[in-house]
Amino acid sequence: MSETTTIRTLLPVLIPIVVIELALLAAALADLSRRPAEQVRGHNKWIWVAVIVLINFIGPIVYFVAGREE
Amino acid sequence: MRFGVLLRKELLELWRTYKMLAMGLVFLLFGLLSPAMAKLTPELLKMVGTSQPGVVIQIPPPTTVDALDQYLKNLTQLCTLVLILVAMGVVARERERGTAVLTLSKPVGRGAFLAAKFASLAALLAGSLVVSAAFCYLYTVLLFGSLDAWLFLQANLLLAEYLLVILALTFLGSTLLRSQLAAGGLAFGLWMATGILGALPRIGKVMPGELVGWAAALSRGLVQTAWPAVWGGLALIVLCLAVSWLSFRGQEL
Repeated sequence: MSETTTIRTLLPVLIPIVVIELALLAAALADLSRRPAEQVRGHNKWIWVAVIVLINFIGPIVYFVAGREE
Repeated sequence: MRFGVLLRKELLELWRTYKMLAMGLVFLLFGLLSPAMAKLTPELLKMVGTSQPGVVIQIPPPTTVDALDQYLKNLTQLCTLVLILVAMGVVARERERGTAVLTLSKPVGRGAFLAAKFASLAALLAGSLVVSAAFCYLYTVLLFGSLDAWLFLQANLLLAEYLLVILALTFLGSTLLRSQLAAGGLAFGLWMATGILGALPRIGKVMPGELVGWAAALSRGLVQTAWPAVWGGLALIVLCLAVSWLSFRGQEL
């Protein structure tokens, strides 16, 4: 299989994966932007921006599960 | 308060705190990703090989066995970690914040309180696994042509029990300890311990890791069973829930 056909075959497979990753990232950043710093663990929003953006998949999950305080 | 009402409250809480969304998406993602990775990895290695002169990489074409191996690996590693993250605070967080008292000051038994919490997480786990398995099946058929549905179902049932054992261990940690981070740490430690014990000759046969081994053997068409691990897993779940209840019954909130 040549490189272009490989990429063409796998594109329909990879697109949904990228969409899910971006959806997670967007949902986490949207939640973070609406939240005052006091309601974020560690009271520092920038650290969480870094975690969400820099760590693929797991970053947004960690934010949703452990980063928010009510 | 009836069990059904408590269960609905727990499920609503999982939804409102995005835990349902997060876990569902991670499981969905690895369901999609596993067959794709199995298909893609040899192609990528070939591309690396052909870009450098003199390097010849020969890899057998990937099959459904590789797809299923990848699926089992992802679900028993990263997805298990996410499961621990989602479940570690279930009781510990309520005690940490003092909200358990609010619920228990109403006519609610402690047993029903715990049962609703465990049932909501088990339901979330089941739902996430169904989504993951459905997409893994779909993508494996799309990329590799075919996959025996009955065999895949059996592998998923074994996987479900494995994950349920880890959930029960996390639930135990969350009930015993007051801090959710400590609960997560204990759950992680117990998960590792089942892995280490799984390598030992006699006790290893009843450890949950054997369930994954059986699931992997199924995809290879091997006649290999691990019934002791099935019973061992069920016993471990019952033991964790019983110890959780005994401990929670006498706890000062």
